[in-house]
Amino acid sequence: MSEELTPTQEAPSSFFWGNVSALGATAIELVVGARELYSVFVRTLYYVVRGRREKGVLLRQMYEIGNKSVFFLTVTMGALGMILVYQAGLQAARVVPDYQMLGATYLQLLIRDLAASLGSLMLATRVGAGIAAEIGSMVVTEQVDALRMCAADPIDFLIVPRFLASMIMTTVLVIWAGFVAFLAGAATAYFAFDVMPQTFFNARMVTSADFATGFAKCIAYGAAIPIVSGYCGLSTFGGSEGVGWATTRAVVNTSLAIIILNFFISSASFVIFAG
Amino acid sequence: MAVQVSSQSPGPGAGPAPGAIAKRAETLFGAVGGAVLSLAETAGGMGVLFGRVVARLFPPQIDRNELRRNLYKMAVKSLPIVIVTALFTGAIMVIQAAPLVKRFNAEGLLGWAAGFGTLREIAPLLTALMISGRVGANNTAELGTMVVTEQVDALRALAIDPVTFLILPRFLSIVITLFVMTLYADILALLGAAYTGLALLKVEPVSFYNSVTAGLLGIGDVTNGLVKSVVFGFVIAISSCHFGLATTGGAPGVGRAVNACVVASATGIFLLDYLVSFIVK
Repeated sequence: MSEELTPTQEAPSSFFWGNVSALGATAIELVVGARELYSVFVRTLYYVVRGRREKGVLLRQMYEIGNKSVFFLTVTMGALGMILVYQAGLQAARVVPDYQMLGATYLQLLIRDLAASLGSLMLATRVGAGIAAEIGSMVVTEQVDALRMCAADPIDFLIVPRFLASMIMTTVLVIWAGFVAFLAGAATAYFAFDVMPQTFFNARMVTSADFATGFAKCIAYGAAIPIVSGYCGLSTFGGSEGVGWATTRAVVNTSLAIIILNFFISSASFVIFAG
Repeated sequence: MAVQVSSQSPGPGAGPAPGAIAKRAETLFGAVGGAVLSLAETAGGMGVLFGRVVARLFPPQIDRNELRRNLYKMAVKSLPIVIVTALFTGAIMVIQAAPLVKRFNAEGLLGWAAGFGTLREIAPLLTALMISGRVGANNTAELGTMVVTEQVDALRALAIDPVTFLILPRFLSIVITLFVMTLYADILALLGAAYTGLALLKVEPVSFYNSVTAGLLGIGDVTNGLVKSVVFGFVIAISSCHFGLATTGGAPGVGRAVNACVVASATGIFLLDYLVSFIVK
Protein backbone atom coordinates (compact mmCIF):
# COMPACT_ATOMS: atom_id res chain seq x y z
CA MET A 1 0.00 0.00 0.00
CA SER A 2 2.52 2.55 1.17
CA GLU A 3 4.76 2.45 -1.91
CA GLU A 4 1.93 3.81 -4.02
CA LEU A 5 1.71 6.97 -1.95
CA THR A 6 3.69 10.13 -2.52
CA PRO A 7 6.89 10.40 -0.48
CA THR A 8 5.81 13.71 1.09
CA GLN A 9 3.44 11.89 3.45
CA GLU A 10 4.68 10.54 6.75
CA ALA A 11 4.95 6.80 7.15
CA PRO A 12 2.42 6.14 9.98
CA SER A 13 -0.28 8.37 8.60
CA SER A 14 0.27 7.07 5.06
CA PHE A 15 -0.26 3.57 6.35
CA PHE A 16 -3.47 4.75 8.01
CA TRP A 17 -4.69 6.60 4.94
CA GLY A 18 -3.76 3.67 2.72
CA ASN A 19 -6.03 1.41 4.73
CA VAL A 20 -8.79 3.97 4.81
CA SER A 21 -8.64 4.47 1.05
CA ALA A 22 -8.65 0.71 0.48
CA LEU A 23 -11.72 0.44 2.69
CA GLY A 24 -13.37 3.34 0.90
CA ALA A 25 -12.62 1.86 -2.51
CA THR A 26 -14.21 -1.42 -1.43
CA ALA A 27 -17.26 0.39 -0.09
CA ILE A 28 -17.67 2.42 -3.30
CA GLU A 29 -17.29 -0.75 -5.37
CA LEU A 30 -19.96 -2.45 -3.28
CA VAL A 31 -22.37 0.47 -3.62
CA VAL A 32 -21.83 0.71 -7.39
CA GLY A 33 -22.29 -3.05 -7.74
CA ALA A 34 -25.47 -2.98 -5.68
CA ARG A 35 -26.88 -0.12 -7.73
CA GLU A 36 -26.19 -1.90 -11.02
CA LEU A 37 -27.69 -5.11 -9.66
CA TYR A 38 -30.76 -3.14 -8.62
CA SER A 39 -31.00 -1.58 -12.06
CA VAL A 40 -30.83 -5.03 -13.71
CA PHE A 41 -33.59 -6.20 -11.37
CA VAL A 42 -35.85 -3.24 -12.09
CA ARG A 43 -35.32 -3.47 -15.84
CA THR A 44 -36.05 -7.20 -15.72
CA LEU A 45 -39.34 -6.52 -13.92
CA TYR A 46 -40.17 -3.83 -16.50
CA TYR A 47 -39.57 -6.17 -19.41
CA VAL A 48 -41.50 -8.98 -17.73
CA VAL A 49 -44.55 -6.72 -17.91
CA ARG A 50 -43.89 -4.72 -21.10
CA GLY A 51 -41.42 -6.86 -23.01
CA ARG A 52 -41.88 -8.87 -26.17
CA ARG A 53 -43.20 -12.42 -26.10
CA GLU A 54 -41.49 -15.10 -28.10
CA LYS A 55 -42.81 -18.61 -28.16
CA GLY A 56 -40.52 -21.43 -27.14
CA VAL A 57 -37.83 -19.35 -25.47
CA LEU A 58 -39.34 -19.73 -22.03
CA LEU A 59 -39.89 -23.45 -22.52
CA ARG A 60 -36.31 -23.94 -23.68
CA GLN A 61 -34.97 -22.09 -20.65
CA MET A 62 -37.25 -24.08 -18.36
CA TYR A 63 -35.82 -27.24 -19.89
CA GLU A 64 -32.25 -25.96 -19.49
CA ILE A 65 -32.75 -24.82 -15.90
CA GLY A 66 -35.22 -27.41 -14.71
CA ASN A 67 -34.99 -30.76 -16.43
CA LYS A 68 -31.22 -30.75 -16.70
CA SER A 69 -30.87 -30.11 -12.96
CA VAL A 70 -33.15 -32.92 -11.82
CA PHE A 71 -30.50 -35.62 -11.67
CA PHE A 72 -27.95 -33.41 -9.90
CA LEU A 73 -30.52 -32.18 -7.40
CA THR A 74 -31.84 -35.68 -6.72
CA VAL A 75 -28.35 -37.03 -5.94
CA THR A 76 -27.29 -34.13 -3.71
CA MET A 77 -30.58 -33.70 -1.86
CA GLY A 78 -30.91 -37.45 -1.36
CA ALA A 79 -27.46 -37.56 0.22
CA LEU A 80 -28.31 -34.49 2.26
CA GLY A 81 -31.54 -35.99 3.57
CA MET A 82 -29.66 -39.07 4.76
CA ILE A 83 -26.96 -36.97 6.46
CA LEU A 84 -29.41 -34.63 8.18
CA VAL A 85 -31.56 -37.35 9.69
CA TYR A 86 -28.50 -39.30 10.75
CA GLN A 87 -26.99 -36.26 12.49
CA ALA A 88 -30.32 -35.30 14.05
CA GLY A 89 -30.67 -38.84 15.37
CA LEU A 90 -27.19 -38.70 16.91
CA GLN A 91 -28.04 -35.33 18.43
CA ALA A 92 -31.34 -36.56 19.85
CA ALA A 93 -29.66 -39.68 21.26
CA ARG A 94 -27.45 -37.53 23.49
CA VAL A 95 -30.34 -35.96 25.46
CA VAL A 96 -33.52 -37.95 24.96
CA PRO A 97 -33.22 -41.35 23.31
CA ASP A 98 -36.63 -40.90 21.76
CA TYR A 99 -37.11 -40.80 18.00
CA GLN A 100 -40.88 -40.26 17.98
CA MET A 101 -40.64 -36.62 16.96
CA LEU A 102 -37.69 -37.03 14.58
CA GLY A 103 -39.86 -37.24 11.48
CA ALA A 104 -42.21 -34.44 12.48
CA THR A 105 -39.39 -32.00 13.30
CA TYR A 106 -37.50 -32.95 10.17
CA LEU A 107 -40.53 -32.45 7.95
CA GLN A 108 -41.24 -29.05 9.45
CA LEU A 109 -37.64 -27.92 9.07
CA LEU A 110 -37.54 -29.26 5.53
CA ILE A 111 -40.63 -27.35 4.47
CA ARG A 112 -39.74 -24.17 6.30
CA ASP A 113 -36.11 -23.92 5.34
CA LEU A 114 -33.89 -26.77 4.25
CA ALA A 115 -35.56 -27.89 1.04
CA ALA A 116 -35.71 -24.35 -0.32
CA SER A 117 -32.38 -23.06 0.96
CA LEU A 118 -30.11 -26.02 0.34
CA GLY A 119 -31.88 -26.99 -2.88
CA SER A 120 -31.46 -23.43 -4.16
CA LEU A 121 -27.81 -23.36 -3.11
CA MET A 122 -27.32 -26.43 -5.29
CA LEU A 123 -29.25 -24.78 -8.11
CA ALA A 124 -27.16 -21.64 -7.67
CA THR A 125 -23.99 -23.56 -8.42
CA ARG A 126 -25.39 -25.37 -11.43
CA VAL A 127 -27.81 -22.86 -12.93
CA GLY A 128 -25.97 -19.70 -11.83
CA ALA A 129 -22.65 -20.89 -13.22
CA GLY A 130 -24.40 -21.98 -16.42
CA ILE A 131 -26.15 -18.61 -16.94
CA ALA A 132 -23.00 -16.60 -16.24
CA ALA A 133 -20.85 -18.80 -18.49
CA GLU A 134 -23.35 -18.58 -21.35
CA ILE A 135 -23.98 -14.83 -21.14
CA GLY A 136 -20.29 -14.17 -20.42
CA SER A 137 -19.25 -16.02 -23.58
CA MET A 138 -21.82 -13.99 -25.51
CA VAL A 139 -20.33 -10.78 -24.12
CA VAL A 140 -16.70 -11.60 -24.98
CA THR A 141 -17.64 -12.83 -28.46
CA GLU A 142 -19.53 -9.51 -28.90
CA GLN A 143 -22.91 -11.11 -29.44
CA VAL A 144 -24.40 -8.89 -26.74
CA ASP A 145 -23.03 -5.81 -28.51
CA ALA A 146 -24.64 -7.12 -31.67
CA LEU A 147 -27.96 -7.30 -29.81
CA ARG A 148 -27.53 -3.69 -28.66
CA MET A 149 -26.73 -2.70 -32.26
CA CYS A 150 -30.11 -4.13 -33.26
CA ALA A 151 -31.75 -1.92 -30.62
CA ALA A 152 -32.58 -4.98 -28.54
CA ASP A 153 -31.98 -4.75 -24.82
CA PRO A 154 -29.94 -7.79 -23.74
CA ILE A 155 -31.96 -7.83 -20.51
CA ASP A 156 -35.16 -8.34 -22.47
CA PHE A 157 -33.63 -11.05 -24.66
CA LEU A 158 -31.32 -12.87 -22.26
CA ILE A 159 -32.34 -12.26 -18.64
CA VAL A 160 -36.15 -12.13 -18.75
CA PRO A 161 -36.70 -15.69 -20.08
CA ARG A 162 -34.20 -17.05 -17.57
CA PHE A 163 -35.83 -15.01 -14.79
CA LEU A 164 -39.31 -16.41 -15.45
CA ALA A 165 -38.06 -19.93 -16.08
CA SER A 166 -35.98 -19.90 -12.92
CA MET A 167 -38.84 -18.70 -10.72
CA ILE A 168 -41.10 -21.48 -11.99
CA MET A 169 -38.53 -24.24 -12.06
CA THR A 170 -36.94 -23.38 -8.70
CA THR A 171 -40.31 -23.81 -7.03
CA VAL A 172 -40.97 -27.09 -8.83
CA LEU A 173 -37.47 -28.43 -8.18
CA VAL A 174 -37.55 -27.43 -4.51
CA ILE A 175 -40.77 -29.41 -4.05
CA TRP A 176 -39.11 -32.39 -5.72
CA ALA A 177 -35.94 -31.87 -3.65
CA GLY A 178 -37.93 -31.79 -0.43
CA PHE A 179 -39.72 -34.97 -1.45
CA VAL A 180 -36.44 -36.76 -2.22
CA ALA A 181 -34.79 -35.52 0.97
CA PHE A 182 -37.75 -36.64 3.06
CA LEU A 183 -37.81 -40.13 1.52
CA ALA A 184 -34.04 -40.48 1.97
CA GLY A 185 -34.43 -39.31 5.56
CA ALA A 186 -37.23 -41.81 6.21
CA ALA A 187 -35.05 -44.62 4.85
CA THR A 188 -32.13 -43.54 7.04
CA ALA A 189 -34.35 -43.32 10.12
CA TYR A 190 -35.61 -46.83 9.44
CA PHE A 191 -32.21 -48.43 8.86
CA ALA A 192 -30.12 -46.47 11.38
CA PHE A 193 -32.55 -45.86 14.26
CA ASP A 194 -35.37 -48.41 13.63
CA VAL A 195 -38.00 -45.69 13.25
CA MET A 196 -40.94 -47.13 11.36
CA PRO A 197 -42.00 -45.08 8.29
CA GLN A 198 -45.51 -44.77 9.80
CA THR A 199 -44.00 -42.94 12.78
CA PHE A 200 -41.68 -40.91 10.59
CA PHE A 201 -44.44 -39.65 8.26
CA ASN A 202 -45.84 -37.23 10.78
CA ALA A 203 -47.14 -33.88 9.59
CA ARG A 204 -48.46 -32.75 12.97
CA MET A 205 -45.98 -29.91 13.40
CA VAL A 206 -46.35 -28.51 9.89
CA THR A 207 -48.46 -25.37 9.74
CA SER A 208 -49.51 -23.10 6.92
CA ALA A 209 -46.92 -20.62 8.19
CA ASP A 210 -44.19 -23.12 7.31
CA PHE A 211 -45.57 -23.53 3.82
CA ALA A 212 -45.81 -19.76 3.37
CA THR A 213 -42.19 -19.29 4.49
CA GLY A 214 -40.95 -22.07 2.23
CA PHE A 215 -42.85 -20.72 -0.74
CA ALA A 216 -41.61 -17.18 -0.17
CA LYS A 217 -38.07 -18.54 -0.12
CA CYS A 218 -38.58 -20.45 -3.38
CA ILE A 219 -39.79 -17.32 -5.15
CA ALA A 220 -37.06 -15.10 -3.71
CA TYR A 221 -34.23 -17.51 -4.54
CA GLY A 222 -35.70 -18.28 -7.95
CA ALA A 223 -35.63 -14.56 -8.72
CA ALA A 224 -32.18 -13.99 -7.20
CA ILE A 225 -30.33 -16.72 -9.10
CA PRO A 226 -30.83 -15.41 -12.67
CA ILE A 227 -30.60 -11.73 -11.68
CA VAL A 228 -27.29 -12.04 -9.82
CA SER A 229 -25.66 -14.49 -12.21
CA GLY A 230 -27.02 -12.67 -15.25
CA TYR A 231 -25.55 -9.41 -13.92
CA CYS A 232 -22.21 -11.18 -13.40
CA GLY A 233 -22.38 -12.54 -16.94
CA LEU A 234 -23.26 -9.17 -18.50
CA SER A 235 -20.40 -7.42 -16.70
CA THR A 236 -17.83 -9.83 -18.16
CA PHE A 237 -14.75 -8.34 -19.78
CA GLY A 238 -11.48 -9.69 -21.12
CA GLY A 239 -11.60 -12.93 -23.09
CA SER A 240 -11.65 -16.46 -21.76
CA GLU A 241 -10.13 -15.43 -18.45
CA GLY A 242 -12.99 -12.96 -18.02
CA VAL A 243 -15.57 -15.68 -18.60
CA GLY A 244 -13.94 -17.77 -15.89
CA TRP A 245 -13.96 -14.82 -13.51
CA ALA A 246 -17.60 -14.04 -14.28
CA THR A 247 -18.63 -17.64 -13.62
CA THR A 248 -16.74 -17.69 -10.34
CA ARG A 249 -18.31 -14.44 -9.21
CA ALA A 250 -21.74 -15.69 -10.21
CA VAL A 251 -21.45 -18.81 -8.06
CA VAL A 252 -20.14 -16.91 -5.04
CA ASN A 253 -22.51 -13.97 -5.27
CA THR A 254 -25.58 -16.11 -5.92
CA SER A 255 -24.77 -18.34 -2.94
CA LEU A 256 -24.20 -15.29 -0.75
CA ALA A 257 -27.46 -13.76 -1.97
CA ILE A 258 -29.32 -16.93 -1.02
CA ILE A 259 -27.75 -17.07 2.45
CA ILE A 260 -28.50 -13.40 3.12
CA LEU A 261 -32.07 -13.66 1.76
CA ASN A 262 -32.55 -16.73 3.93
CA PHE A 263 -31.50 -14.73 6.97
CA PHE A 264 -33.98 -11.97 6.27
CA ILE A 265 -36.91 -14.18 5.25
CA SER A 266 -36.36 -16.50 8.23
CA SER A 267 -36.22 -13.60 10.68
CA ALA A 268 -39.30 -12.02 9.13
CA SER A 269 -41.19 -15.27 9.34
CA PHE A 270 -40.14 -15.76 12.96
CA VAL A 271 -41.25 -12.25 13.86
CA ILE A 272 -44.54 -12.52 11.95
CA PHE A 273 -45.63 -16.05 12.83
CA ALA A 274 -44.01 -16.85 16.18
CA GLY A 275 -43.06 -13.55 17.77
CA MET B 1 -38.05 -57.57 -29.38
CA ALA B 2 -35.80 -57.21 -32.37
CA VAL B 3 -37.04 -60.50 -33.87
CA GLN B 4 -40.66 -59.39 -33.54
CA VAL B 5 -39.94 -56.09 -35.20
CA SER B 6 -38.11 -57.62 -38.13
CA SER B 7 -40.89 -60.18 -38.74
CA GLN B 8 -43.48 -57.44 -39.28
CA SER B 9 -44.16 -56.30 -42.80
CA PRO B 10 -42.91 -52.75 -43.26
CA GLY B 11 -46.28 -51.33 -44.22
CA PRO B 12 -46.55 -47.54 -44.08
CA GLY B 13 -49.04 -46.13 -41.62
CA ALA B 14 -49.45 -49.39 -39.67
CA GLY B 15 -47.97 -48.28 -36.33
CA PRO B 16 -44.44 -46.98 -36.06
CA ALA B 17 -42.10 -48.06 -38.81
CA PRO B 18 -39.99 -51.04 -37.74
CA GLY B 19 -36.80 -49.13 -38.03
CA ALA B 20 -38.12 -46.34 -35.79
CA ILE B 21 -38.28 -48.41 -32.61
CA ALA B 22 -34.82 -49.80 -33.14
CA LYS B 23 -33.52 -46.34 -33.89
CA ARG B 24 -35.12 -44.85 -30.81
CA ALA B 25 -33.72 -47.66 -28.67
CA GLU B 26 -30.36 -47.07 -30.27
CA THR B 27 -30.34 -43.36 -29.46
CA LEU B 28 -31.56 -44.08 -25.92
CA PHE B 29 -28.87 -46.66 -25.30
CA GLY B 30 -26.40 -44.42 -27.04
CA ALA B 31 -27.27 -41.55 -24.69
CA VAL B 32 -27.06 -43.75 -21.59
CA GLY B 33 -23.82 -45.31 -22.73
CA GLY B 34 -22.38 -41.93 -23.60
CA ALA B 35 -23.26 -40.57 -20.16
CA VAL B 36 -21.67 -43.57 -18.46
CA LEU B 37 -18.56 -43.27 -20.61
CA SER B 38 -18.15 -39.56 -19.88
CA LEU B 39 -18.68 -40.21 -16.16
CA ALA B 40 -16.03 -42.93 -16.28
CA GLU B 41 -13.72 -40.60 -18.19
CA THR B 42 -14.11 -37.90 -15.54
CA ALA B 43 -13.62 -40.31 -12.65
CA GLY B 44 -10.64 -41.92 -14.34
CA GLY B 45 -9.09 -38.56 -15.18
CA MET B 46 -9.45 -37.43 -11.56
CA GLY B 47 -7.97 -40.70 -10.34
CA VAL B 48 -4.95 -40.44 -12.63
CA LEU B 49 -4.39 -36.80 -11.68
CA PHE B 50 -4.66 -37.65 -7.97
CA GLY B 51 -2.11 -40.44 -8.46
CA ARG B 52 0.28 -38.04 -10.19
CA VAL B 53 -0.09 -35.44 -7.43
CA VAL B 54 0.52 -38.03 -4.71
CA ALA B 55 3.55 -39.40 -6.59
CA ARG B 56 5.12 -35.93 -6.48
CA LEU B 57 4.62 -35.69 -2.71
CA PHE B 58 7.21 -38.46 -2.09
CA PRO B 59 9.71 -36.87 -1.84
CA PRO B 60 7.93 -33.48 -1.81
CA GLN B 61 8.84 -31.30 -4.78
CA ILE B 62 6.98 -28.10 -3.94
CA ASP B 63 7.59 -24.72 -5.48
CA ARG B 64 7.55 -22.63 -2.29
CA ASN B 65 6.85 -19.31 -4.00
CA GLU B 66 3.99 -20.72 -6.01
CA LEU B 67 2.55 -22.30 -2.85
CA ARG B 68 2.78 -19.03 -0.93
CA ARG B 69 1.23 -17.07 -3.78
CA ASN B 70 -1.65 -19.52 -4.07
CA LEU B 71 -2.24 -19.58 -0.33
CA TYR B 72 -2.50 -15.80 -0.31
CA LYS B 73 -4.80 -15.74 -3.31
CA MET B 74 -7.02 -18.55 -2.09
CA ALA B 75 -7.07 -18.19 1.69
CA VAL B 76 -6.52 -14.53 2.51
CA LYS B 77 -8.69 -13.26 -0.33
CA SER B 78 -11.56 -15.60 0.63
CA LEU B 79 -11.77 -14.29 4.19
CA PRO B 80 -14.58 -11.77 3.56
CA ILE B 81 -17.00 -14.26 2.03
CA VAL B 82 -16.18 -16.87 4.68
CA ILE B 83 -16.84 -14.32 7.42
CA VAL B 84 -20.17 -13.22 5.93
CA THR B 85 -21.29 -16.79 5.25
CA ALA B 86 -20.35 -18.03 8.71
CA LEU B 87 -22.01 -15.16 10.59
CA PHE B 88 -25.25 -15.49 8.63
CA THR B 89 -25.22 -19.27 8.89
CA GLY B 90 -24.91 -19.17 12.66
CA ALA B 91 -27.74 -16.65 12.78
CA ILE B 92 -29.95 -18.83 10.58
CA MET B 93 -29.30 -21.87 12.77
CA VAL B 94 -30.58 -19.97 15.80
CA ILE B 95 -33.59 -18.59 13.92
CA GLN B 96 -34.54 -22.11 12.86
CA ALA B 97 -34.16 -23.42 16.40
CA ALA B 98 -35.98 -20.44 17.93
CA PRO B 99 -39.63 -21.65 17.76
CA LEU B 100 -38.70 -24.96 19.43
CA VAL B 101 -36.61 -23.25 22.09
CA LYS B 102 -39.43 -20.83 22.83
CA ARG B 103 -42.04 -23.58 23.02
CA PHE B 104 -40.09 -25.70 25.50
CA ASN B 105 -38.46 -22.77 27.33
CA ALA B 106 -35.13 -24.47 26.67
CA GLU B 107 -33.01 -21.31 26.49
CA GLY B 108 -30.18 -23.08 28.28
CA LEU B 109 -29.90 -25.65 25.50
CA LEU B 110 -29.73 -23.15 22.63
CA GLY B 111 -25.93 -23.21 22.39
CA TRP B 112 -25.89 -26.95 22.26
CA ALA B 113 -28.70 -27.16 19.71
CA ALA B 114 -27.15 -24.62 17.37
CA GLY B 115 -23.58 -25.72 18.03
CA PHE B 116 -24.10 -29.38 17.25
CA GLY B 117 -25.41 -28.83 13.75
CA THR B 118 -23.03 -25.97 13.08
CA LEU B 119 -19.82 -27.70 14.11
CA ARG B 120 -20.57 -31.12 12.67
CA GLU B 121 -22.42 -30.28 9.50
CA ILE B 122 -23.35 -26.80 8.44
CA ALA B 123 -20.08 -24.89 8.93
CA PRO B 124 -17.89 -27.41 7.03
CA LEU B 125 -20.53 -27.90 4.34
CA LEU B 126 -21.31 -24.26 3.61
CA THR B 127 -17.65 -23.24 3.85
CA ALA B 128 -16.81 -25.98 1.37
CA LEU B 129 -19.57 -24.81 -0.99
CA MET B 130 -18.40 -21.20 -0.82
CA ILE B 131 -14.73 -22.13 -1.24
CA SER B 132 -15.69 -24.41 -4.10
CA GLY B 133 -17.47 -21.48 -5.72
CA ARG B 134 -14.71 -18.98 -5.17
CA VAL B 135 -11.45 -20.88 -5.09
CA GLY B 136 -12.30 -24.05 -7.00
CA ALA B 137 -14.10 -22.28 -9.82
CA ASN B 138 -11.41 -19.62 -10.00
CA ASN B 139 -8.72 -22.28 -10.14
CA THR B 140 -10.50 -24.05 -12.99
CA ALA B 141 -10.88 -20.77 -14.84
CA GLU B 142 -7.21 -19.96 -14.40
CA LEU B 143 -5.95 -23.38 -15.46
CA GLY B 144 -8.48 -23.51 -18.29
CA THR B 145 -7.30 -20.14 -19.58
CA MET B 146 -3.71 -21.37 -19.43
CA VAL B 147 -4.69 -24.46 -21.42
CA VAL B 148 -6.64 -22.64 -24.15
CA THR B 149 -3.91 -19.99 -24.53
CA GLU B 150 -1.34 -22.83 -24.78
CA GLN B 151 0.63 -21.72 -21.74
CA VAL B 152 0.61 -25.27 -20.38
CA ASP B 153 2.07 -26.53 -23.66
CA ALA B 154 4.72 -23.83 -23.36
CA LEU B 155 5.63 -25.18 -19.90
CA ARG B 156 5.96 -28.66 -21.35
CA ALA B 157 8.12 -27.32 -24.17
CA LEU B 158 10.42 -25.82 -21.53
CA ALA B 159 10.63 -29.25 -19.87
CA ILE B 160 8.77 -27.98 -16.79
CA ASP B 161 6.34 -30.54 -15.44
CA PRO B 162 2.90 -28.84 -15.26
CA VAL B 163 1.76 -31.14 -12.45
CA THR B 164 4.70 -30.23 -10.24
CA PHE B 165 4.71 -26.56 -11.10
CA LEU B 166 0.98 -25.79 -11.39
CA ILE B 167 -1.13 -28.52 -9.85
CA LEU B 168 0.73 -29.55 -6.69
CA PRO B 169 0.89 -26.08 -5.08
CA ARG B 170 -2.75 -25.41 -5.96
CA PHE B 171 -3.80 -28.77 -4.61
CA LEU B 172 -2.06 -28.24 -1.29
CA SER B 173 -3.28 -24.65 -0.99
CA ILE B 174 -6.90 -25.64 -1.51
CA VAL B 175 -6.74 -28.37 1.13
CA ILE B 176 -5.00 -26.08 3.64
CA THR B 177 -7.35 -23.18 2.83
CA LEU B 178 -10.47 -25.19 3.43
CA PHE B 179 -9.15 -26.61 6.71
CA VAL B 180 -8.23 -23.20 8.10
CA MET B 181 -11.40 -21.55 6.80
CA THR B 182 -13.56 -24.22 8.45
CA LEU B 183 -11.88 -23.45 11.78
CA TYR B 184 -12.65 -19.77 11.26
CA ALA B 185 -16.19 -20.53 10.19
CA ASP B 186 -16.79 -22.67 13.29
CA ILE B 187 -15.82 -19.79 15.56
CA LEU B 188 -17.62 -17.10 13.60
CA ALA B 189 -20.80 -19.13 13.18
CA LEU B 190 -20.98 -19.66 16.94
CA LEU B 191 -20.41 -15.93 17.41
CA GLY B 192 -23.20 -15.10 14.98
CA ALA B 193 -25.45 -17.63 16.69
CA ALA B 194 -24.72 -16.23 20.14
CA TYR B 195 -25.63 -12.66 19.20
CA THR B 196 -28.72 -13.72 17.24
CA GLY B 197 -29.80 -15.60 20.35
CA LEU B 198 -29.38 -12.40 22.32
CA ALA B 199 -31.36 -10.34 19.83
CA LEU B 200 -34.13 -12.82 19.17
CA LEU B 201 -34.57 -14.86 22.34
CA LYS B 202 -32.84 -12.72 24.96
CA VAL B 203 -30.34 -15.51 25.67
CA GLU B 204 -27.19 -13.94 27.07
CA PRO B 205 -24.01 -14.82 25.11
CA VAL B 206 -22.51 -16.08 28.39
CA SER B 207 -25.24 -18.68 28.85
CA PHE B 208 -24.93 -19.55 25.17
CA TYR B 209 -21.22 -20.15 25.71
CA ASN B 210 -21.89 -22.21 28.83
CA SER B 211 -24.34 -24.39 26.96
CA VAL B 212 -21.78 -24.94 24.17
CA THR B 213 -19.09 -26.01 26.64
CA ALA B 214 -21.28 -27.75 29.24
CA GLY B 215 -20.31 -31.25 28.17
CA LEU B 216 -22.96 -32.21 25.64
CA LEU B 217 -20.56 -31.12 22.92
CA GLY B 218 -17.05 -32.54 22.83
CA ILE B 219 -13.87 -32.07 20.87
CA GLY B 220 -15.11 -35.01 18.79
CA ASP B 221 -17.75 -32.79 17.20
CA VAL B 222 -15.13 -30.26 16.14
CA THR B 223 -12.74 -32.89 14.77
CA ASN B 224 -15.62 -34.51 12.90
CA GLY B 225 -16.21 -31.25 11.06
CA LEU B 226 -12.50 -30.77 10.44
CA VAL B 227 -12.06 -34.28 9.02
CA LYS B 228 -14.90 -33.43 6.65
CA SER B 229 -13.23 -30.20 5.64
CA VAL B 230 -10.04 -32.05 4.64
CA VAL B 231 -12.03 -34.58 2.60
CA PHE B 232 -13.96 -31.75 0.91
CA GLY B 233 -10.65 -30.01 0.22
CA PHE B 234 -9.41 -33.08 -1.66
CA VAL B 235 -12.63 -33.21 -3.69
CA ILE B 236 -12.53 -29.52 -4.63
CA ALA B 237 -8.82 -29.58 -5.43
CA ILE B 238 -8.97 -32.65 -7.66
CA SER B 239 -12.12 -31.69 -9.51
CA SER B 240 -11.06 -28.09 -10.13
CA CYS B 241 -7.60 -29.09 -11.36
CA HIS B 242 -8.98 -31.88 -13.52
CA PHE B 243 -11.63 -29.78 -15.23
CA GLY B 244 -9.18 -26.92 -15.67
CA LEU B 245 -6.64 -29.12 -17.44
CA ALA B 246 -9.34 -30.84 -19.52
CA THR B 247 -10.64 -27.52 -20.96
CA THR B 248 -11.10 -27.35 -24.72
CA GLY B 249 -12.55 -24.75 -27.05
CA GLY B 250 -11.74 -21.13 -26.24
CA ALA B 251 -13.71 -18.76 -23.99
CA PRO B 252 -16.99 -20.75 -24.02
CA GLY B 253 -14.93 -23.82 -23.13
CA VAL B 254 -13.60 -22.10 -20.02
CA GLY B 255 -17.14 -21.25 -18.94
CA ARG B 256 -18.24 -24.85 -19.50
CA ALA B 257 -15.24 -26.17 -17.57
CA VAL B 258 -16.05 -23.93 -14.59
CA ASN B 259 -19.67 -25.02 -14.67
CA ALA B 260 -18.71 -28.70 -14.79
CA CYS B 261 -16.23 -28.17 -11.96
CA VAL B 262 -18.70 -26.62 -9.52
CA VAL B 263 -21.31 -29.26 -10.28
CA ALA B 264 -18.82 -32.11 -9.81
CA SER B 265 -17.45 -30.55 -6.61
CA ALA B 266 -20.91 -30.11 -5.12
CA THR B 267 -21.93 -33.67 -5.95
CA GLY B 268 -18.66 -35.06 -4.58
CA ILE B 269 -18.95 -32.97 -1.41
CA PHE B 270 -22.45 -34.21 -0.62
CA LEU B 271 -21.74 -37.86 -1.38
CA LEU B 272 -18.53 -37.89 0.67
CA ASP B 273 -20.22 -35.93 3.46
CA TYR B 274 -22.63 -38.82 3.78
CA LEU B 275 -19.82 -41.39 3.86
CA VAL B 276 -17.75 -39.45 6.40
CA SER B 277 -20.79 -38.87 8.63
CA PHE B 278 -21.29 -42.59 8.84
CA ILE B 279 -17.64 -43.65 9.17
CA VAL B 280 -16.35 -41.01 11.61
CA LYS B 281 -18.52 -40.97 14.72
